[in-house]
Amino acid sequence: MNKWHKASPCAAERSSAALSGLALLLFAALAGPLPAQDARQIVEESQRRGRAPSEHYEGTLEVTSADSKVTRKSWQFWRLGSYGNSKAVIRFTAPAEVKGVALLVINHPDRSSDQWMWTPAIARDRRIALQDRSTRFFGTDFSFEDLEERDVDQYEYRLTGEEPIEGAPCWRIDARPRQTKTSQYTLSRMWVRKDNYVPAQYENFVKDQPVRRLLQKDIQNIQGIWTARTLEMTDLRRKSRTILRLEKLEYNIPLKEDEFTVQALRRDQ
Amino acid sequence: MTFHRRTPDSTLPGMVGPALSPANAWCFPAILAFLVLAATLHAQNFTQRGFLETTALFFPETAPNDSAYAVGEALFRYEAFYKLTNLRFAAAFDARTDTHEETARDWGGLWWDRSRLRPLFAVRRLSATYTRGRLTVEAGKQLIRWGKADVLTPTDRFAPRDFLNVVDADFLPITAARITYGTQSDTLDLILSPRLTPSRVPLLDQRWAVLPPGVPVHELDPAFPGGPQFGARWNHIGAVAEYSFSFYNGYDHLPLFHVQPDVALQGADVQRFYPQMRMYGADAASPLGPVTLKSEAAYFTSTNPQADNYALWVLQLERQAGEWSLVAGYAGQIVTQHRGTLGFSPVRGFTRSVVAHAGYTIDVNRSLAFESVVRQNGQGVYAKAEYSQAFGQHWRATAGFALVRGEATDFLGQYHRNSHAILTLRYSF
Repeated sequence: MNKWHKASPCAAERSSAALSGLALLLFAALAGPLPAQDARQIVEESQRRGRAPSEHYEGTLEVTSADSKVTRKSWQFWRLGSYGNSKAVIRFTAPAEVKGVALLVINHPDRSSDQWMWTPAIARDRRIALQDRSTRFFGTDFSFEDLEERDVDQYEYRLTGEEPIEGAPCWRIDARPRQTKTSQYTLSRMWVRKDNYVPAQYENFVKDQPVRRLLQKDIQNIQGIWTARTLEMTDLRRKSRTILRLEKLEYNIPLKEDEFTVQALRRDQ
Repeated sequence: MTFHRRTPDSTLPGMVGPALSPANAWCFPAILAFLVLAATLHAQNFTQRGFLETTALFFPETAPNDSAYAVGEALFRYEAFYKLTNLRFAAAFDARTDTHEETARDWGGLWWDRSRLRPLFAVRRLSATYTRGRLTVEAGKQLIRWGKADVLTPTDRFAPRDFLNVVDADFLPITAARITYGTQSDTLDLILSPRLTPSRVPLLDQRWAVLPPGVPVHELDPAFPGGPQFGARWNHIGAVAEYSFSFYNGYDHLPLFHVQPDVALQGADVQRFYPQMRMYGADAASPLGPVTLKSEAAYFTSTNPQADNYALWVLQLERQAGEWSLVAGYAGQIVTQHRGTLGFSPVRGFTRSVVAHAGYTIDVNRSLAFESVVRQNGQGVYAKAEYSQAFGQHWRATAGFALVRGEATDFLGQYHRNSHAILTLRYSF
């Protein structure tokens, strides 16, 4: 007893550690990659894993209308900063008639983004008002709002279940915009993959009706970041679809702050 | 009414002749050199675009000074950009022709765009831009736009226009140095232009010039001012509003006319001149619930005893709803000192009007556009409807009709014979 008692601190620690480890292993086996996660933690982890100081890709877009007509567009995308505090520029490179048209998105952690569009043909920039963000972006099925980043603090999250998307097990999470966030959507339902925390699908609702669905496919590890290389946005009301493919994707490239201003939109046409 | 028709622009004494001026002589090779150099350098930093556009205008009515029912125009525009770390170069040129002799048939006006006719070839842009931190300096020929409103932009002082067609006027570039310093939220814009680029006014032998009946008119060489223009604008972007204040000192790019009786001709001699002008302006944009409110106002004074002092202002509401884009507003004018000199100013002529624009996107390739200007006294109306469709990656066809109605005494109404159908085909690359 004495011996046992004397030996107890270290042994107890070890056994406690062993128990804890076993418990953790058991929990992990039952619950997934990380234990006891709530919806917000999952989204935070998803964003943390996708974080990079900068990003550039060449996007090719294929817009298929309800009557199956296909239109192709392409743009260049640059981003500086990460969720909640990032700036992005999208500049069209095709078709020829919109070459040079650009959108600047300044994301904020505590409110909706600011957006400006530059039209070289008339040499004018135009601020995209909040109430106009539900409009489709240049004939694609993305709205202006869909092009802004969704910071974790701007939504209330609720884990509503688990469901596979294209065979991959996912958490299903409902995200409702907080009062400070102006959104056309009353609810965004997202499916986050359990294996790599990449959102596999978003479904956006207006008054309980799903209006847009974004499917994120072709997930690859690019410079240590699991990234969906194909984004398929479906406008469920118009029954049209836009597939965005990310080509020549690079993270951590040198970009300057002054390339993400309204003046730079005009300058870099 | 009779009119002394002078078809080739160069027949007017003192106007631009067929030979290349010194400015013209170097700028075309400069553009070519730029293009060759840029194309052989790093392709990733080189971008280009352009289009070839042909337009046919059909007029159901003839005008007293123009018996044509149809006008055909063709425009080729090429733009190229080359980017280095802190330096950017831009070059663009236009080549155009038409069936109605509105475009010169010689090489005049390649750089200094002051001719009555549209130039056959014109440098639209040739500029170098240097950037360092918050500072951007652009020097050369360039398009400069100020203001936020769409229906009328009183503060847009560095943007002369081609008013050969009064209701569909393209912007003209100017030669200037532009210095911009600022952050995302505050920007100071300083512009110095060494020489005025005037707006192009309707040709006397075509329908958009409305002349007094029975009076022969002889156009003298215009009196261009010799001095520079200067402007400054401070713009602030806030979370709930964006606004700016601007100042301009230079010349009006729209002319007044000296009119003198011509005894020999038993008519009148008319000479364009461009009075000194000073502008104090402001503009603002702010979202208000479901709409965006944009406003712009400017007060114009002149040291020239023949020019009016006046204020122009615009209030407009904007809304994007589904596939609709809607803009409606009112453009007003207050004359504080009236001198009664004859002039040509569509900017002022379109005021005291309710102005509206609507666009509807049918699908990714097709769209409709409507615009209208209705004078508050009901004496002038302009309305236009347009259908546009893209074909593949390069082609776009646009068809529309512009209706002009009103009294001969009204600025808009005087063009009541100029309602027309428009058909445009554009190939972009």
